[in-house]
Amino acid sequence: MKQYLKLVNFEFNRFFKLYLVLIGITILTQIIGVITTARMHVNRANEWINEEHMTKGDIQLAPISFYDFSQSAWFMGPIALGAATLLIYVFFIWYRDWLGKNTFSYRLFMLPIARIQVYLAKAATILLYVLGLIALQLLLMPVENKILKWIVPSEFRTDLSINEITRIPNVALLIPNTLGEFVLYYAAGVGVVSIVFTAILFERSYRVKGIMYGILFCAASQLVFFAPLLVNTFVLKNYFYPTELFFMELATGLVVAACSIWTANFLIKNKVRV
Amino acid sequence: MEWGILMIEIKDVTKKFGKKKVLNGVSFTAEKGKITCLIGINGVGKTTIMKAIMALSPIASGEILIDGKKIHKESYEKITFIPDTITMLPQMQIRDAFVFMADFYDSWNQARASELLRFFKLQETDRISDLSKGNTAKVNLILGLAMDVDYVLMDEPFSGIDIFSREQIADVFTSHLIEDRGVIITTHEINDIEHLIDKVVLLDNGVVLKEFDTEEIREKEGKSVVDVMREVYEA
Repeated sequence: MKQYLKLVNFEFNRFFKLYLVLIGITILTQIIGVITTARMHVNRANEWINEEHMTKGDIQLAPISFYDFSQSAWFMGPIALGAATLLIYVFFIWYRDWLGKNTFSYRLFMLPIARIQVYLAKAATILLYVLGLIALQLLLMPVENKILKWIVPSEFRTDLSINEITRIPNVALLIPNTLGEFVLYYAAGVGVVSIVFTAILFERSYRVKGIMYGILFCAASQLVFFAPLLVNTFVLKNYFYPTELFFMELATGLVVAACSIWTANFLIKNKVRV
Repeated sequence: MEWGILMIEIKDVTKKFGKKKVLNGVSFTAEKGKITCLIGINGVGKTTIMKAIMALSPIASGEILIDGKKIHKESYEKITFIPDTITMLPQMQIRDAFVFMADFYDSWNQARASELLRFFKLQETDRISDLSKGNTAKVNLILGLAMDVDYVLMDEPFSGIDIFSREQIADVFTSHLIEDRGVIITTHEINDIEHLIDKVVLLDNGVVLKEFDTEEIREKEGKSVVDVMREVYEA
């Protein structure tokens, strides 16, 4: 276990500088974004007051809320950038050990530990990075909400509580409102990462043929994972209750993840080529 | 395996890359305490054998045993491989590489690493990516030799290295750093270490052409390694 944690720490540190840049971009863009959005709204109100000689009460300006900011590129842009970067890193976290002058894969696979720990350490690193960005967002949103309140007078804004903010659809996707959603979203995420990792190991084991095996493995995994939904929709014509489907999906998800890790263990132990 | 025999055994190993058979029934042994040299032109499968021993490349058939056992995770505490390319991250300083090794290997011997560092006149603060090819090879050598392991595999340690570095590396073979260990080495530069090697395995087209004891052939037939190589390859 100690060795595994050391490996997770090592993998985490390898991308940490770029991760800090990602965090910096997110903080800067969103803070600048909320200030800009708020000021634009206030300026519009001022124009009405100064140019149309209206009083605050006369202005028919739709009040701004955190919802408006959450729909803007200022808010969604850095989140999308973070998601895209981590998506690319899911592949790069493996290929960086083989490509170019870097042959660190020799060292990784000569460590006196079960090789599956390398796989699990890389998966844990991705999960930690994702959760880190979500945690950052949880810290940033109340700050951004506060900034909005500071800049926009109460007449021109609608206040949303943090609870209401987390119910905004695109925010709720990141920060699930219920335990069920949390399990569904994050287990699905971990499952997808494990499937992609296994597909990468197919490629690293069988090279060109491995790409085909990897694609087939991904397709088969998806088919098994979505089997309850597909059967319910097309064969049983919506026979099951959503809760029943949820648990069936959870079960097939676990089966797929277990198969994926078992296959990865076999490949990394017996077939992978350095 | 007979109890107490300490060696690496390669038994009838075959391996294909696509349709090409790179190893075609390779068998030989490398005993602990001896330096075994794999010789052959490029592409005969020397590196593939090294990787196969370390389970870094799967074999199609045959068996590889280290002290009578198939390689497993604990084996990496008693056997190490020094490939012809650096096995650490280029952005690391040498001391970071040492910390990494100490973190993961019980067999890491920091005192020996420091001794080798002084011997090769390198600094702990040197960044791996800034090192010359020769110095990179030396760092790689330190990472392997500073481990208290029974077996050391070295792939072309002299390849592309200047004469002075070659001499320094060759000196390592006569030192206590190699004594009592089992060494398998591949090299083109046979002249540098001919007097040091105990055993030679001549390879061609994925098969072992000849396996012989250098001392024995010198005494019985009065032939040097190069003489035997000429005989076998020009036959």
